[in-house]
Amino acid sequence: MAGGERQRVDGEPAFVLHTHPFRETSLIVETFSRNHGRVPLAARGARRPRSALRGVLMAFQPLSIGWFGKGEVRTLAKAEWMGGQPLLQGEALLCGYYLNELLVRLLPRDDPHPGLFDAYADTLQRMAAGLAPAPLLRRFEKTLLQELGYGLTLDRCVDGGEAVAAAGEYVVVLERGVMPSQGQPDEQPRFSGKALLAMAGDDFSSPEVLAQSKTLMRMLLSHHLGDQGLESRRVFKELQGL
Amino acid sequence: MQSPSSLDELIEALRCLPGVGPRSAQRMAYHLLQRDQAGAARLAKGLAQALERIRHCARCNNFTEQEVCERCASGRRDASLLCVVEMPADLNMVEQTHAYGGLYYVLMGRISPLDGIGPRELRLDRLLARATDGVLREVIIATNFTNEGEATAHYLSEMFRSRGVKSSRIARGLPVGGELEHTDSGTIAQALLERRPL
Ligand SMILES: [Zn+2]
Repeated sequence: MAGGERQRVDGEPAFVLHTHPFRETSLIVETFSRNHGRVPLAARGARRPRSALRGVLMAFQPLSIGWFGKGEVRTLAKAEWMGGQPLLQGEALLCGYYLNELLVRLLPRDDPHPGLFDAYADTLQRMAAGLAPAPLLRRFEKTLLQELGYGLTLDRCVDGGEAVAAAGEYVVVLERGVMPSQGQPDEQPRFSGKALLAMAGDDFSSPEVLAQSKTLMRMLLSHHLGDQGLESRRVFKELQGL
Repeated sequence: MQSPSSLDELIEALRCLPGVGPRSAQRMAYHLLQRDQAGAARLAKGLAQALERIRHCARCNNFTEQEVCERCASGRRDASLLCVVEMPADLNMVEQTHAYGGLYYVLMGRISPLDGIGPRELRLDRLLARATDGVLREVIIATNFTNEGEATAHYLSEMFRSRGVKSSRIARGLPVGGELEHTDSGTIAQALLERRPL
């Protein structure tokens, strides 16, 4: 939004990505809305013991929200629980934090991405229903990169544009794309043509594709995240190290 | 007009309190200096004393002035049960029920990945050491039913399971005396999901 303009939005599908305390009894709520993107909102009085907003402003739950105001942080007018989705639990909950951290770190504020919103809602819903998180995370990461304009063509090579062959071996060069692996430095991870084609078609069902897509997505995301690692990934690692 | 620097210093110091911005800090500072100097002196002394004397109990991590707090040192509690809570206020609430005779461990926080708080920041290794003292039979995980409290509970249950320590989670559902008509939909939805056979 262009800073000065007054805004009034109602009945907007949204999720809470993160909250932090604001003043004595309020919260700043980092929301991800379907038609307005990531919008920070002040929820006045939301930290009072009997505030009706307290239980509603929970991450990972589909909400319908309204806000008004101008400037960077606008004012939350109302938030309603849309329901229909069990709370995330266990490993899925930690994966949910991972999605939220990716969005907070990579998605610019006030930049609408309805497609990404739908992918996010779908990923949460499937995780809440108990589906294995890994393939869902890979598909979400791919959608996120595409929506942010960092998408890569995975079924064609960059130079000459020849089609990726299932039996071939390839590397993925940052900011460029897929290239045949011959003559590429050893430290570049290798990807099988079969895995690249499966990823291009959003099929993350085989263990091989899952492993290779994890390497690829991590490589691409780290490039955009910079030096500061993801806290949710660190917690996950500590959990796996038990 | 330039304000004296120790006033600035005080205002800046007051801002470390949660929810206190520059304006309230200034109001507090003026109040303390102008209207209540005795109160200010008491506050200063109280803070200095607490900082010097109060530490974390070696057994339950709650605030205490001793190495081991009175509750942990008293032989009257059931040492085979350990209830893990997020904050001292939660411990007080459980105590008020008079329904629990075991010991406690206070995490002094909860896992919140987006705030950079993980197992390491909460020093969960200390809790694990406490829970594997040989006397303990069961750990009751009583963190909040927020996402952060649930993430913490998940981590703790995995941590205890990996060391063969039995753990349980407090139940959630409708409040005692609660009526469906006046209960929020999230609570009812979860109570339906977590229904139990009779
Ligand atoms: Zn103690």
